[in-house]
Amino acid sequence: MNQPTNRILNLLAAGFLCLALGFWFNLFGRPAVPAEVPLVDLAFIATNTARLSAADLIRTGGDTSGLECYACHDKKQPLKLKFDAESNIVLPKEHEDIVMGHGGHKRNNNCFNCHDETNLELLQARDGRQIKLVDSTQLCGSCHGPTYRDWEAGVHGRTSGYWKRELGPIDRKGCTSCHNPHAPAFPGRAPAPAPHALHPAIAQPEKESAHAH
Amino acid sequence: MPTDTPPPAAPAPALSRRSFLRNSAVLASGIAAVAASLAPLRELTDITSMEQFLQKHYKELTPADMEQVLARITRDVEKQYQVRPHVADYKPMDGVEFVYCLNLTRCIGCRKCVHACVAENNQSRSPEIQYIRVLKMPHGSLDMEKGDHNYSPASVPEKGFFYMPVQCQQCKNPACVKVCPVKATWQEADGITVIDYDWCIGCRYCEAACPYFARRFNWTKPSIPKDRLNPNMSYLGNRPRRQGVMEKCHFCIQRTRQGRYPACLEVCPAGARKFGNVLDPNSEVAHILRTKRVFIQLKEEVGTSPRFFYYFDV
Repeated sequence: MNQPTNRILNLLAAGFLCLALGFWFNLFGRPAVPAEVPLVDLAFIATNTARLSAADLIRTGGDTSGLECYACHDKKQPLKLKFDAESNIVLPKEHEDIVMGHGGHKRNNNCFNCHDETNLELLQARDGRQIKLVDSTQLCGSCHGPTYRDWEAGVHGRTSGYWKRELGPIDRKGCTSCHNPHAPAFPGRAPAPAPHALHPAIAQPEKESAHAH
Repeated sequence: MPTDTPPPAAPAPALSRRSFLRNSAVLASGIAAVAASLAPLRELTDITSMEQFLQKHYKELTPADMEQVLARITRDVEKQYQVRPHVADYKPMDGVEFVYCLNLTRCIGCRKCVHACVAENNQSRSPEIQYIRVLKMPHGSLDMEKGDHNYSPASVPEKGFFYMPVQCQQCKNPACVKVCPVKATWQEADGITVIDYDWCIGCRYCEAACPYFARRFNWTKPSIPKDRLNPNMSYLGNRPRRQGVMEKCHFCIQRTRQGRYPACLEVCPAGARKFGNVLDPNSEVAHILRTKRVFIQLKEEVGTSPRFFYYFDV
C-alpha cells in the first residue's frame, strides 16, 4: 500500500481509539449521576398533633399527676391572684412555665376567666357553667363562636380517619391539641427540606435572574 | 515509517501481514468505539416482560385479567423490594365526586404534606419526585410568577407571605387527558384523573398540557428504600412505577376509595386541608363551598374547572 493510504489508516485508527476512550470515560457529557438525595426525617411525615392536650392525655389514660391541683393547693383556702403595678399577673414559681399570651392588650390576664376558682380541676365558662378538662372545646366555644361553628362542621381543625362515616370512624381533634390555651397563636416550625433539583446547577434559575435585573 | 523493509520481490500480495494487522486494529477500535457509545444500554435493566407487553388497556381488562395483572404486580414488587404488597384495583363509589379544599389562611408552609405524599404514594426518593409544590407568595398578590418553592427559612410561616400548595387539581375539563395520544390517562366517575402506568408511553404531552405543573416524569428508575415502601397499593394509584412513565397526584386513590382521608390531609399540622364528597350536603367540603370565601379555582381563566378549591377563613 502507498504512503498516503497508510497515513489515513493510522489516523483513522487513532481517531477511533480516542472516540472509544472518550465514550468509555464519558467525556462527552452524558449526564453524571446526580447527587444522592438524603431521605427525609421521619418527623416530617408523622401525623402527631402540634401538642398533647390535657384532654387527650386524660382520654388516652396517660400520666395525669400534673393535673391534680389539690396535690399542692388547699381546697379550703381561696386563691388570691397577684398583679404587678402594670396589672400584669405575677405567676408563682410553680407555674412559671405558663406563658400568658391569650388575647391582646393584657385583657385576658386573669386565671379565673377560664379556670374555676371554686374547683381548680374544672374550667368555667363566662356564664358560670362548670366544664371538665376533657370538654375544654366547649369552653373555647363560649367565646370563639364562629370558629367553634366551623369546628363543629369539621371545617376548622384537624381531622383523620374516614371521610365516609359508614366505613369507619373519624377522629376530630379538640382546640388544645393544636393551640396552647395559655398562648393560642399557632407556633412557627422548621419547614421540611425544599425540593432537590435533578440538576443542581440549575436549581434556582429564577433567583439568579432576579439578581441580574 | 517502514524504510528498512526490503522491497517485495514478487508482486505484493493483496493482504500483507502488516496491512492485515493495521486493518484489524482499525476495525477493532471501531467496534470498541461503537460498543462504548452504546454503553448507556447497559443501564437498561427494567425490561418489560412479555406478559406486561401484551397486557390490554385498563378499560378492556376483564376481572379475570385484572386478577392476573395484580398477581404479576405483586410478584414483581416482592421480587424487587422483598416486601409482600397488597395490590388491588379500587373502583369509584356510586354517588361520590371528590373535592379538595385548602385553607390559605391556615397553611403555614411546613411542607409536611409534600413528604407524607411521597411516603404514601411510593414516589422516587432520589432523584426526587413530589406531587405537591408549596409556593411562598407575598401578601396582597396572587401572581404565581412571584411564587417561590425553594424557600428554607429556620421557621415558617414568615411575616408578609402566605403559602399555596399546588398539586393535581383533578379538573372537570382536564387538558392532560385531551392530549394523551394513547388514552393512558382519563377521568374516572368520582372525578379522579388516573394514569395506567402500563399503557403510558412517556411522551410527556400531558406534562406540557397541564397548566398547574402537576405531572411528573420518571426520568430514571424510581428509587425507593425497601423499609419505606408503602405495601398498601392500588393499580391506578401508588404501585411502583417504571422508568419512562408519567405520574401525579390521584387523591390517594388507595385510601379515598376505601373511605379514608388522603395522606396530605392527615399530616397537615394546621388542619388547612379538607376533603370529601361534594355530592353529600353534610360533607366538610360542601359546607366550605356553601359558607366560606372560596376565592378561586386556580387559573380559572384557562377553563379547566378544577375540583381543588382555595379559600380564606377570615
